[in-house]
Amino acid sequence: MKNPSSKIFFIAGCILLGIVLLIFLISLFWTPYDPSATDPASKLMAPSAAHLFGTDNFGRDTLSRVMDASKYTVFISFAGVAIALALGLVTGIPAGYYGGWTDRGIMLLSNSIMCFPGILLALVAVAVAGPSMYNVVWALGLVFAPTFARVCRIGTMELKQRDYIIHARVMGIRSPRIMALHILPNLTGSLLPATVIGLANMTLFESGMSYLGLGVQPPDASFGKLLADAQSYMTRAPWLVIFPSLMLVIYILGLYFVSEGIRVRSGKGGN
Amino acid sequence: MGRKTGFIISKILELLATLLVVSLLTFVAFSVIPGDTAQVILGPDASQAQLDALRSELGLDKPLIVQYLNWIAGLFTFNLGKSAAFGVPVSDLIAERLPVTIGMSIIALIFVIAVSYPLSVLSARRPGKVLDQVFSVTGHILFAIPPFVLSLISIIAASALFSGFRAGQYFSPDENFPGFIGCLILPSFCIALPKIAMTFKYMRSSIIEQNASEYVKNAKGHGLTDMRILMKHVLPNSNVSAITVISIVLSDILAGSLIVEQVFNLPGMGRLLLSGIARRDFPLLSGMVFYIAFITVLLYFAADVLGSIADPRIRLK
Amino acid sequence: MRHFSKTITAAILLASMAFGFASCTASNASSGKVTVGITQEPGTFDPHTVVAAGDQEIIFNIYEGLMKYDSKGNLNPCLAKEYKINDSADEYTFTIRDKVKFHNGQDLTAADVVYSLQRAAGLLPGSDGTALIASFDKIKTVEVSNDDPNKVVVTLEQPDSELLSYFTVGIIPKDYENSDKSPCGTGPFKFESYSVSQNVTLSANKDYWGNKPQIDKVVFKICADMDAGLLELKSGTIDIFPHLTKDRADQLSPDAYNIMDNASNMVQIFALNNKAAPLDNPKVREAINYAISRDDIINVTMDGAGVALTTAMSPAMGKWYDKSLDGTYKKDLDKAKSLLAEAGYADGFDLKVTVPSSYLVHVNTAVELGSELSAIGIKLKIEQVDWATWLDEVYSKRNYESTVICLTSDYAPYDVLQRYSTDSKDNFINYSNAEVDELLKKIPLTPGEEDKLSLYHQILKIMTEDNASCYIQDPQEIVPVSTKLEGYNVYPMYVQDMSTVKFK
Repeated sequence: MKNPSSKIFFIAGCILLGIVLLIFLISLFWTPYDPSATDPASKLMAPSAAHLFGTDNFGRDTLSRVMDASKYTVFISFAGVAIALALGLVTGIPAGYYGGWTDRGIMLLSNSIMCFPGILLALVAVAVAGPSMYNVVWALGLVFAPTFARVCRIGTMELKQRDYIIHARVMGIRSPRIMALHILPNLTGSLLPATVIGLANMTLFESGMSYLGLGVQPPDASFGKLLADAQSYMTRAPWLVIFPSLMLVIYILGLYFVSEGIRVRSGKGGN
Repeated sequence: MGRKTGFIISKILELLATLLVVSLLTFVAFSVIPGDTAQVILGPDASQAQLDALRSELGLDKPLIVQYLNWIAGLFTFNLGKSAAFGVPVSDLIAERLPVTIGMSIIALIFVIAVSYPLSVLSARRPGKVLDQVFSVTGHILFAIPPFVLSLISIIAASALFSGFRAGQYFSPDENFPGFIGCLILPSFCIALPKIAMTFKYMRSSIIEQNASEYVKNAKGHGLTDMRILMKHVLPNSNVSAITVISIVLSDILAGSLIVEQVFNLPGMGRLLLSGIARRDFPLLSGMVFYIAFITVLLYFAADVLGSIADPRIRLK
Repeated sequence: MRHFSKTITAAILLASMAFGFASCTASNASSGKVTVGITQEPGTFDPHTVVAAGDQEIIFNIYEGLMKYDSKGNLNPCLAKEYKINDSADEYTFTIRDKVKFHNGQDLTAADVVYSLQRAAGLLPGSDGTALIASFDKIKTVEVSNDDPNKVVVTLEQPDSELLSYFTVGIIPKDYENSDKSPCGTGPFKFESYSVSQNVTLSANKDYWGNKPQIDKVVFKICADMDAGLLELKSGTIDIFPHLTKDRADQLSPDAYNIMDNASNMVQIFALNNKAAPLDNPKVREAINYAISRDDIINVTMDGAGVALTTAMSPAMGKWYDKSLDGTYKKDLDKAKSLLAEAGYADGFDLKVTVPSSYLVHVNTAVELGSELSAIGIKLKIEQVDWATWLDEVYSKRNYESTVICLTSDYAPYDVLQRYSTDSKDNFINYSNAEVDELLKKIPLTPGEEDKLSLYHQILKIMTEDNASCYIQDPQEIVPVSTKLEGYNVYPMYVQDMSTVKFK
């Protein structure tokens, strides 16, 4: 089935993601103001030439805070996905490769973890370990690991049937080597969409945790934390809500579109 | 027939194994976590003797394995012990919250089905055309907005549209049942929105797939009306994904209510969980977390078994 | 067909919404029920073990003591008809009021008073001797007078002329053991029910001995947080909401709510643990005091609704407050920097501030402090903890570097300052000065008001010289009260007195 819209999705997604990543890169070196410097004299000012995105209830520059927040949002989603991916790989590939009781054991564990609502698991973990950005990353990594394990397992089971893997096994190449050198690289196609979606879901989870007070700690803020802080100013200072939510939606939508593009493409390749 | 029974038996075994692991995970997690339930109940000024007395009353002085078995027994008899923070039986606390959570789940599910089905049918009639694209992009955007922002926006919108709307009001079901249902509608809608987007996506591709299949083309050739084909053939045949979707939606709704209840100030399971977390109330948390996971396991099980009855192919995989 | 399904969807949506919202509007506001919004989950209703201010403001309606505060902060006899303190201030005699009934129908007798005071003082047989009310540890005996069965005599181990305000503690029936869950007192309202994270319901005590309450029911509705409360205020489902912030109160329609305010007599403190390096150096504490602008903090956290504090007592305490201390620390960055340099921290240092996450005002204060202190090189790291952890780690174990919190106390100067004696269990900042300890011991032995006044002022001066801690503000108490109601009073302490509230 030919789908011209997948290309459009992919390009649109890349543009949206590009906006956020560009802002992220700039924020590493420069923001118009110090994002945590307060200035009570100019609090809750509407957007102006001096403050393009206005100021918050501390008189902090919203543009600088949004730029700075991209750092935390991007870091949390990427680091969380990295942990989930790593855990998924080391459990999912052996499960699919060895099959049998290894498979059953690992799948039972990962299915059981998936029975707990993810946000609840993450909340309990962070509440107990103490709220901090790193604990959020760990908690999200753990919560999302089973998803990746599943993708790896199914991919591995399919690859195992391929001639070159069977050939390699017959040649007597040790299993860990086969998994690392022959299976892992060939999983990229199915893992990529899952990874991109994972980035989006982590960002959403993180914003929910921020709303419940268990996310990034002040004065630092992610997009989600900015939004959570702005909720009491929705009508009074709408710019505090509009700009962070715009950024958040751009980031997540970008990720969704890119994954949509990749999914349709790799689906075609697979057939 | 024998094959079908065999499938169901293996599913039941899987269910039991999953429940065992889920209960072990819950119990171990809350036993390993630092924090002493007796200390939480008695406060920082308690003497050692008081602490020891309460520990033995709560059975905390027994070996872990005995505690685990007692806890499991408690799960089946709905006797989960006393909440550390509130001093009342955990099961009472949960029972008090159930109406809100169940009410919201049902209403949200109705929203999901009532909105996503017609929309996906509409969308799938002309895939790739304007209407389809509009629905798809809207769905993506609904996905991309955090649930609490969605709730806040809908409160503002509802207040502007309906002069009679009052956010945050709550009636208990015994006092005023219509009022109770009424107060749950907007929050349920907020929980449902992202799920509508998700179900729409699944249903749409499932219908498009069916429409492209040979038997639908044949039926068209025989001059059956679109409506008839849809009702008699396409929708029943996409049941597999529908049942799966509904069970996923239901389990997601439980998680979604965590945040929505906070925004709307509703006394459901979500807020009870949050106060349990804030007060390190492990008896309460372990009981609730297990029951939620338990319901989720059952939903997945139901989806698997019902799915296999609706579509024989699934068993052969 | 397309048209058809669209219509159905729309119809279902509309029907369900219209149905829902219509029934939502059917509220029963005129039945004499008043709803008060609170944001804290009650911990206990036991008048002798209660610590949380949020619990105290509820049980004020249920229990009464021998003495009781009025809305101006004056102390009046209540369950005691009259009282007498002997000249050496080591014997208090109370005459019990007649014809007072407990909520369970029992008559109030001297035996109930003796039981309650003995319980609070840890004198009951079988208790381990620790006073539940710390200041009662100097009580030697509580007995019914030999001359008059209606009189209760309290004798002290050492004289204390400052103990009277503590006799506001609630009186419960003799041998009543269920106070924490099912409180029974003599107050204008009876306890009816408590549902966790939903509400506490009180109903009018028809047999109340004093002026009978003018509403049937009070519901203390527990809101998830201040913003959830604000939502309910806007929709009119809450009549009274204590401790609101000014920026939120400003969003309410003046037709629906009167905004009442008053000094709260609370002391918001940037508590510096005197035993945690480098805060053990008074110069460092002084530098912090000079590096911050209290007005800016008040502007940011309270929208200006607060009174700047430089010392441990709020000006709301009237004459007990030492006016000469006004404006002691005027923001002076150069001075702060040189003080830090003198202390050996010219480049500043890292400082952890542990704040309770449920109190937005304190979290926001910490954020503003962080921004201001960075100017002298102090890098403030904010750590939010839940309330239970805060009480345990910070207040009880004193395992922290700095924190932001509001100190509440009775409207009595001794209650405000007694926490600063070296061995007080409430001295969580670990302040220690032998001279202050001496003065605090001396005050209860001092009979004359003028002499006491100078002793209190002396303590405040010494604490300021020591830079005991960093005091920020007395946040103004802001309470929106429904325009349908009248008679509500804002107390200068944590009290929600519902007995005078009525519908217009």
